[in-house]
Amino acid sequence: MMKNFLLLLLLIIHALAQANGNEIDNIHLDHAHDRLVDGKKLEVDLKRFERFIEGLAYSQIAIVSVKGMVCDFCARGIEKTFKRDSDVTKVDVDLSNGKVLIAFKRNKTIDFDDIKEKILANGQNATDLKVLII
Amino acid sequence: MGIRLAPILIFLIAIDLEARPISYSGASTLMAFSDTMKNSVYYHYSPSYKYSLGVELVRDKVQKKEYAFFRFTSLLNRKNTKRSQRNLYFQSGISFNESRNRFYGIHGDWETRRWYTGFNYKKIDTGAVIYTDQFYQFGVAPYVGEYGDLHSWVMIKTRKNFLESDWSTYPVLKFFKGNALIELGYSKQSHWDAHLMYRF
Repeated sequence: MMKNFLLLLLLIIHALAQANGNEIDNIHLDHAHDRLVDGKKLEVDLKRFERFIEGLAYSQIAIVSVKGMVCDFCARGIEKTFKRDSDVTKVDVDLSNGKVLIAFKRNKTIDFDDIKEKILANGQNATDLKVLII
Repeated sequence: MGIRLAPILIFLIAIDLEARPISYSGASTLMAFSDTMKNSVYYHYSPSYKYSLGVELVRDKVQKKEYAFFRFTSLLNRKNTKRSQRNLYFQSGISFNESRNRFYGIHGDWETRRWYTGFNYKKIDTGAVIYTDQFYQFGVAPYVGEYGDLHSWVMIKTRKNFLESDWSTYPVLKFFKGNALIELGYSKQSHWDAHLMYRF
C-alpha cells in the first residue's frame, strides 16, 4: 500500500516538474467555467470559449495572451498559421481579451516558444500561455 | 491645379488608402483601385512581417499611359500593447517608365479597437517635378466588432500637398470582414472612389 502511494506521489511530482519545465500549466476548468482550479481568472469571453470547445473532446486547449492584436484583419494570419499544423484541430481569436484559442490533439507536446514564434511572424507578441485539458 | 496634376493627386489618394502596407510572414495581398482618372492593381508579398515587396500596375486614364511601380515597404518600429499597436513604416516605389517616377517616405499609425490615428509624409519625384505630400488621419469604430464580424470605421483625412496651397479634408469609410476590405473615400477631385483589398 505504502509502495503504491510513493509510486503515485513520484509520478505526480514528475508530471508537475515536466509541466513547469515547459512553462505550461496543465489544469482543468472548474464547473463555473470562468476560473481555473487554482483560482486564477480565465479572462476569455466565456460564450465564445464555450462555443469553441463544443464538439471537442480529448484535446488540449491553449489559451494564448497576445499583445498588439487590435483588429480582426491583423489577426487573420494567426488563424491561418496555426491551421497549417496537423496537430491543431480548431483556432479562434478573442479580440476583446487579447487571446488566441488553439485546440491541439491531446498527445501533442505544446511548445510555448513555437507558439511565440508563430505569433511573432504575424507581427504580434505572445506573452502568456495556459493549457486546459478537456 | 492643371489637368496634368490631377492624376498625380488622385493616384496619391489611392495609394494612401492602403490600410496595411505589410502583411504577415508568407502572405500576399491584392488590391484594386478604380475611379474616373485611373485603374490600378497592386500586389505585394511579405516574406516577413517586417517588409513587403510589390508591383503596382497603373493605367492612367488621363494621360493614356500604362506603367508599373515596384514598391518596397519596411516596418521600422512597432510597439504592441494589450490594447493598442503603434507602427512606423518606410515606404518607397520606383517606376521604370521613361520619366522614372519614384517616391519615398514614412507612414505612422496608432490604433486600438476603437480609435485610429495615422500620418504620412512622402517625397515624390515624377521626373518633371519633385514635391512632398503629407496627411493626417483620424478614425473611430462606431461599434467594436468581434472576430469574424463585419467591422466598420469612420475616418477623416486631412492632406496638404506641396502643389496645393491649402489643406483638403475628406471622409473615408472602411469596412472589412474576414480577408476582404473595402475603403471608400471622397474628395472634391475624385468624388467617390473605391479601394478593394484581399489578403491570402
